[in-house]
Amino acid sequence: MAGAKNHDYHILPPDIWPFVASMSALTFTSGMVLFMHEMANAWLVLGLGVAGLIATFFGWFGKIVAEAQRGDHTPVVQLHLRYGMILFIASEVMFFVGWFWSWFDFALFPTDMTDVIGGIWPPESIEAVMDPFDLPLLNTLILLCSGTTVTWAHHALIHGDREGLKKGLWATIVLGVIFSFIQAFEYMHAPFGFGGNTYSSAFYMATGFHGFHVLMGTIFLIVCLVRTYKGHFTPRQHFGFEAAAWYWHFVDVVWLFLFVTVYVWGGWGAELH
Amino acid sequence: MATTADSFQAHTEEHHHDADHKPSFFARWFMSTNHKDIGTLYLIFAIFAGVIGGGISGIMRAELREPGIQYLGWWVALLGGEAGFDQTLHMWNVLISAHGLIMVFFMVMPAMIGGFANWFVPIMIGAPDMAFPRMNNISFWLTVAGFCSLMISTFMPGGTGLGAGTGWTVYAPLSTSGSPGPAVDFAIFSLHLAGAGSIMGAINFITTIFNMRAPGMTLHKMPLFVWSVLVTAFLLLLALPVLAAAITMLITDRNFGTTFFDPAGGGDPLLYQHLFWFFGHPEVYIMILPGFGMISQIIATFSRKPVFGYLGMAYAMVAIGVVGFIVWAHHMYTVGLDVNTKMYFTAATMVIAVPTGIKIFSWIATMWKGSLTFASPMVWALGFIFLFTVGGVTGVVLANGGIDDNLHDTYYVVAHFHYVLSLGAVTSLFAGFYYWFPKMSGRMHSELLAHIHFWIFFVGVNMIFFPMHFLGMDGMPRRIPDYTPAFAYWNNFATIGYEVMAVSVGVFFVNLIYAFVAGKKAGPNPWGEGATTLEWTLSSPPPFHQFETLPVIDDNHDHSHGGKPATA
Amino acid sequence: QDTAAANVQTQNVADASVPAEVAADGQNAEAAVGADAYKPLGPDMIVGQPTPGGMTFQEQYSPNGEYALWMHDAILLPIIVAISLLVLGLLMWVVVRYNRRSNKVASKTSHNTVIEVIWTLVPVLILVVIAVPSITLLSRQYESPPEDAFTVKVTGYQWYWGYSYPDNGDFEVISNMLDDDEAVARGLPEKLAVDNRMVVPVGEPIRIQTTGADVIHSFALPSLWFKLDAVPGRLNEKMLLIQKPGIYYGQCSELCGVRHGYMPIAIEALPRPQFEAWVLSQGGEIGGEDVSDEPEAADLQEPESSVEGAPGAGAPPVDAEEV
Ligand code: HEA
Ligand code: HEA
Ligand code: CUA
Ligand SMILES: [Cu+2]
Repeated sequence: MAGAKNHDYHILPPDIWPFVASMSALTFTSGMVLFMHEMANAWLVLGLGVAGLIATFFGWFGKIVAEAQRGDHTPVVQLHLRYGMILFIASEVMFFVGWFWSWFDFALFPTDMTDVIGGIWPPESIEAVMDPFDLPLLNTLILLCSGTTVTWAHHALIHGDREGLKKGLWATIVLGVIFSFIQAFEYMHAPFGFGGNTYSSAFYMATGFHGFHVLMGTIFLIVCLVRTYKGHFTPRQHFGFEAAAWYWHFVDVVWLFLFVTVYVWGGWGAELH
Repeated sequence: MATTADSFQAHTEEHHHDADHKPSFFARWFMSTNHKDIGTLYLIFAIFAGVIGGGISGIMRAELREPGIQYLGWWVALLGGEAGFDQTLHMWNVLISAHGLIMVFFMVMPAMIGGFANWFVPIMIGAPDMAFPRMNNISFWLTVAGFCSLMISTFMPGGTGLGAGTGWTVYAPLSTSGSPGPAVDFAIFSLHLAGAGSIMGAINFITTIFNMRAPGMTLHKMPLFVWSVLVTAFLLLLALPVLAAAITMLITDRNFGTTFFDPAGGGDPLLYQHLFWFFGHPEVYIMILPGFGMISQIIATFSRKPVFGYLGMAYAMVAIGVVGFIVWAHHMYTVGLDVNTKMYFTAATMVIAVPTGIKIFSWIATMWKGSLTFASPMVWALGFIFLFTVGGVTGVVLANGGIDDNLHDTYYVVAHFHYVLSLGAVTSLFAGFYYWFPKMSGRMHSELLAHIHFWIFFVGVNMIFFPMHFLGMDGMPRRIPDYTPAFAYWNNFATIGYEVMAVSVGVFFVNLIYAFVAGKKAGPNPWGEGATTLEWTLSSPPPFHQFETLPVIDDNHDHSHGGKPATA
Repeated sequence: QDTAAANVQTQNVADASVPAEVAADGQNAEAAVGADAYKPLGPDMIVGQPTPGGMTFQEQYSPNGEYALWMHDAILLPIIVAISLLVLGLLMWVVVRYNRRSNKVASKTSHNTVIEVIWTLVPVLILVVIAVPSITLLSRQYESPPEDAFTVKVTGYQWYWGYSYPDNGDFEVISNMLDDDEAVARGLPEKLAVDNRMVVPVGEPIRIQTTGADVIHSFALPSLWFKLDAVPGRLNEKMLLIQKPGIYYGQCSELCGVRHGYMPIAIEALPRPQFEAWVLSQGGEIGGEDVSDEPEAADLQEPESSVEGAPGAGAPPVDAEEV
């Protein structure tokens, strides 16, 4: 291969990670089923699956980083990565559309055919909701703030200010972690449990998936921080960082929608906790 | 044209050594990063799944040959279950669910997108490979993983008996409180896995098509097959995640106490249907658009004419894709929608007949004043146009909400969707297969056998599915293993049709074996001067890595079905 | 209505084709009690059922059904047949006229704006032609029943139907499929015949309400052009008017689990007097308190059939046990 190629595309050698990843995913979902049905070996299978996925994470992404450092990511390949990331985020948006759809369905048409809901929203069985202008508002500010710190980091990177980049990234990560802690705290002290009615089902699943995305985003940023310490990014080529930043902004925007529709509008008029 | 092909041939030969350096067996097939090898894997997988899905439909047709329960108990016993009365009936639901899911997710989609699109989109746009070769591979293996998960589910308790008996639509609450046991969870995760693979595939195709077109290959010069894959990829990208959310809600309702679809907690079973069909309707176009694309290539090739109304053809597909997102509730006409909703969905659904008609008529106009030869791909393509039209117009009947009140969930619907799928999509698959088989394998199949395959298939499938219109109008519901004797006549007839059709699939495999054992070697372009897209400029099979020097697309080329490389 | 009643009467009594066992079975036993007494209709009174080897819609016995059938037979079917034949004809034409032998040199034409506009606009016009009656049909189907219309609440259970009569004391009739031997013995169609039919008055608008007790079922009657899903947690409502006395068969039309195929629907439409006699025979009341003002909440109870000995847990059809 090498030598013959007269173009800038990235032709890859064979790689085992896609196969490992797929089989690990199958192992993981199978383990989930075993776990949910309290069947034998659930933890073993689940553990194997997760281990495989984590291994893939290091193996596969490690390779991408190595390739980037080797200079395989020519301008056109970087463009691929940009398109790929944008499209991935687009698909994530549609995933959240599903959750918002259910939220609006329940909130706009609360059924009166069961006392659990009683035709009102928030439902009869929800005695109190979280005060949106308490911790959720704080979390909103934290995420907004983290959006600015990640931009700060980006600017620093572009201007070759490595220290600024580190500070910005550190700040963003710390804010992300604080957000997650507050979210966990909020879950633990929520005035309603998980499931049992539409409000808490849609509430926890929507905010929960958002929380999961915050975690992923934070990990992504941590990877960027590590790479910064290794001296990976240059002012002209740092798509790994940009992708993390885009993802972070996406997570941020989803939160804004959640805050407005789920916390503020969705709990309007209810007893506050 | 011939000179062009030769010059490319020469070019590839020059680098023969490098270009054809293939990895060892394991590395080549399990660790592949080569779009053609992955395409081949997908095709093998799709044929395998097609045989299983088709075999299951054979069991179904046998059972439906006459009233009463004949064979189901036997199949329960075979799978190791206890053949009580309910277990036996459950088997039916397992069979139809597996049949639908396998055909949709593991036969048509992998064949069209994973197989043909993987093989030919990069070549047709003059690219050496896909944008993300490694991600391409995980798309394939996730499809395999999904298939495994579905197979495992068949052997797991699913409530009444072994396996998931929810129908391919997995409607709640039958799929939640109605089906305890791990089988349905395995089936749902199977969709998660295959869906994740497809989303990554979609990202890959969009990126490839936008970024890797050879110099001079503008969007408006792309072959229509590439256009069809581009639109399909967008449908996948935007529709599948909604399905993922919906089936995740099924999982949590089943196992973690949420009540999305459980009325006891205020949930709404219809919410699931909305989410499912918001995905499900685009999904049916996902299954046909690449077929449209292949038919366009084939018709143009064997008419020796550029495609008629190229831009109209391309944008008709875009229109089908866009409108396809706003018609979903035509699958829900009887759930109790209000009148305005029903009127809206009736009108919106019928609109799709317009761009589809543009395609049908443009194909005919392409052939008009052409110089037609009837090689096997062309015969299959002609069959496609007619059979798809028949399926399409019954769709327009169903689109009328007031009419659908009678036809919904009857065999009329089964007839409709098999005409567009088993007679439409599958016919386009065989057309594409015979069109590209020489290119992919380097060997010619038997044209005679391919024609015999077509005619027997054509007679067989029409015998199976045409009478289903009658059954539906006469009131026979879907998804029942046993029926009142009034329905016996046409059911028996359909089963005979299946036997005819089965012979044709046999001919197909004989042809495959013949081609590999005794088939003539195929030259770069076995189809003559009408075949103008880039794949025909390469050797058959193409070198392991094609276009190591990118082709340059002629500037003053008319918008036919693809640019031709400059002869420079 | 009175003549219709007389019709039923005479037909049933006079019809010699009713098998002797049926009469002995008590089917017609109550015939002697008097003109207004209830007696289940015999097989000769089956009006809506599939035709063996049938190739068309079942004949329609509701006004909307007649309209829909007309729309299908007079508009939709001719149009789709014509379009299919047109496409087939054009295909055959190009095959014959433009094959290699007949036309050696292919033209290179690839555009013709006029023709493209035509084949865009003509389908649009055809669709408009379809849309007008289609919208009319929809609006007719959504006409709401009069305020005081007689109401039946249909509940789908796994796997039988419950019909309750809120206007008549709210009793519930449980309807299970007859096993094949029993159906044949009574001269009724297998897999469609039931033990207790849903009895309704003929010739007047009826309010049908549907709900599901466990999973989704669908209440469908092909010969009345009627189909309405029975969804748990929802009460769907639609008007039905049956024009002719007699028996109408349908089947559950939403996959609802293992015995989905064994969940037939049988309606018996009777003239008012006979209908009222039936109500009384069921222990219901005539002209009692109207309890249907407020649609009731669907009971979200356990499916009855999961309770041992509940009516729905009826024995499987006999022939199936031989499996
Ligand atoms: C490849 C897959 C495919 C395709 C392409 C289509 C195409 C169409 N489908 Fe179909 N459909 C399915 C697969 C597909 N469908 C499946 C799988 C189901 C059942 C799912 C389930 O319940 O399990 C289904 C069910 C289904 C229903 C629900 C029925 C019910 O459950 O009650 C409806 C209702 O509107 C419908 C309508 C249509 C329409 C209007 C089109 C249109 O796109 C067709 C357009 C094409 C033409 C009209 C022919 C060519 C046009 C001309 C020659 C121009 C002139 C024509 C006119 C003016 C009319 N389909
Ligand atoms: C693509 C989709 C597809 C295809 C091809 C088929 C093919 C067939 N189906 Fe289909 N069917 C569905 C999708 C499909 N079906 C769906 C979605 C349902 C609804 C399920 C539900 O209710 O939930 C259904 C339901 C269904 C029913 C109704 C069951 C019921 O409601 O109770 C019946 C009954 O006869 C039936 C029969 C058949 C038969 C005889 C074929 C035969 O045509 C099969 C013959 C086999 C082939 C034609 C395939 C051969 C292909 C290959 C070997 C691969 C080729 C690959 C390459 C060339 C690369 N099917
Ligand atoms: Cu009840 Cu199907
Ligand atoms: Cu659809």
